[in-house]
Amino acid sequence: MNAAHEPAGDAMHGAAADAVPARDARGRIARRAVFSRASPLVVIAVILIVWELAVRLFGVPAYLLPPPSAIARRMATDYELLAVNTWITLGEVLAGFALAIVVSIPLAAILAQFRVVENAVYPTLVASQTIPKVAIAPLLVVWFGFGLTPKILIAFLICFFPIVVDTMTGFRCVPREVIWLARSMGASQWKTFMKIRIPAALPNIFAGLKVASTLAVVGAVVGEFIGADRGLGYQLIVANGLMDVQLSFAVLVTLSLLGIALYAAVDLLERVTLPWHVSHRVAAGSPPTQAAS
Amino acid sequence: MNCALGFRGVGKVFETRTGSLRALQGIDFALRRGEFLSVLGPSGCGKSSLLALATGLEFPTEGTVEVAGRRVDRPVTDVGIVFQTDVLLDWRTVLGNVMLQIEMRGLDAARYDGRARELLRTVGLAGFEQRRPYELSGGMRQRVSICRALVHDPDILLMDEPFGALDAITREQLVMELHRIWNETRKSVMFVTHDIGEAIFLADRVLVMTPRPGRIEEIVEVDLPRPRTVKTRESARFLALVAHVRTLFVQAGILQVSR
Repeated sequence: MNAAHEPAGDAMHGAAADAVPARDARGRIARRAVFSRASPLVVIAVILIVWELAVRLFGVPAYLLPPPSAIARRMATDYELLAVNTWITLGEVLAGFALAIVVSIPLAAILAQFRVVENAVYPTLVASQTIPKVAIAPLLVVWFGFGLTPKILIAFLICFFPIVVDTMTGFRCVPREVIWLARSMGASQWKTFMKIRIPAALPNIFAGLKVASTLAVVGAVVGEFIGADRGLGYQLIVANGLMDVQLSFAVLVTLSLLGIALYAAVDLLERVTLPWHVSHRVAAGSPPTQAAS
Repeated sequence: MNCALGFRGVGKVFETRTGSLRALQGIDFALRRGEFLSVLGPSGCGKSSLLALATGLEFPTEGTVEVAGRRVDRPVTDVGIVFQTDVLLDWRTVLGNVMLQIEMRGLDAARYDGRARELLRTVGLAGFEQRRPYELSGGMRQRVSICRALVHDPDILLMDEPFGALDAITREQLVMELHRIWNETRKSVMFVTHDIGEAIFLADRVLVMTPRPGRIEEIVEVDLPRPRTVKTRESARFLALVAHVRTLFVQAGILQVSR
């Protein structure tokens, strides 16, 4: 039991040594956190102010480039129109995104697990990605009509590949020793997959989901461009047709807000699911205790 | 059936693109029950290959490997393995990492929970059960991985340079702890290392290996009294054994007396 107190003692000593400057440091860390939260807002504010001033000073006509204040006012007055169309586009985005998740993750699991399947299928998969989705969109309209289906399919097609690639990387990144360890425990492939490969792959899966979340919005809008009678993409086409630049901008802002919200939701889910991951440790406020001992 | 692990005339040849590479030749030895056997040699002498053969992760080209009297033809499961890296799962707590062994084997978690906690306590990690690996130092992490290798009470413990990635002082701490644990449990241990002092300090016998191809140079009996202490390393007998092993490496041309 002699050695028993050593590591605990070590940690205690470390904590005691930290205790005195801790209050100071905590204040500094808190200030830094506030600043790092606020700094993107500051950048956005600066851009908006410069935009507003430039439009006013140089007298840019509103039908070319409306000032941010006019766009905001337009968003407020056309609130209902934007909300209805946002709702429709959001539905298409979420359906396409969900479909991509359901298809991509199992597909990546199979590709990562069975090299034979990967060799056979992966080249075709990569080749299929060189076809621009915008080019397939009209075909999908021909096949599936003007309803929700083609939009969902385009959103799915555009965002499923990044999820597949990232998820495969995740399944592959498990160190050799961990697999050996699992084998020495007599664990089945399935158990190893569920208890080791999936959790190990989660950080990569989330990386793929983040990229895909923004692409899903692009996909749905592309679908609406080709043929639709509702949705933000349709509204954008209508506004452009009417040369209503203010409305165009209002729709664009709404679209980007939609994309940001979706991305933020994935990011939040990641933080909740993976508090242990490197990217969230410092944010969680835990001190780096990687001491030498 | 006095032997936990037996190698009989074992050879291993790896086929590579540039031809075949002989990793091991004429390996003959037995790990006795309750024995601590160190496998000592420089890198590339095939000592890690020995371990891979013992666990059934690889199979010999010649000869046979037996565990508990049964020929190894698939991964061996009645063992605990400690690797050079701690191989802890980042998303599991300290206790969860130890209990992985139990869950993967489909054993009753409730029955082993107390044992896992007790093991963690004996290596000085009481109170750290709910921490995550990233909150631990390298030495603490390797202690957790030793607990994971012991929690299911295996007959054989296989260790592949487990302290190789640690600093010298932590290393000595862990050597002392391993010795204490072994003294209390008397597992059959195969301990692979490249550290002469560590190999002798811990072992009943030291299997000295030389490379190209990997073979056993000599099996050195370690007749130091137990339990061994920090003072053991200063005893005349210990130093004589170290000198003897060193001479073996000099004779094999691995160490040079002077330039």
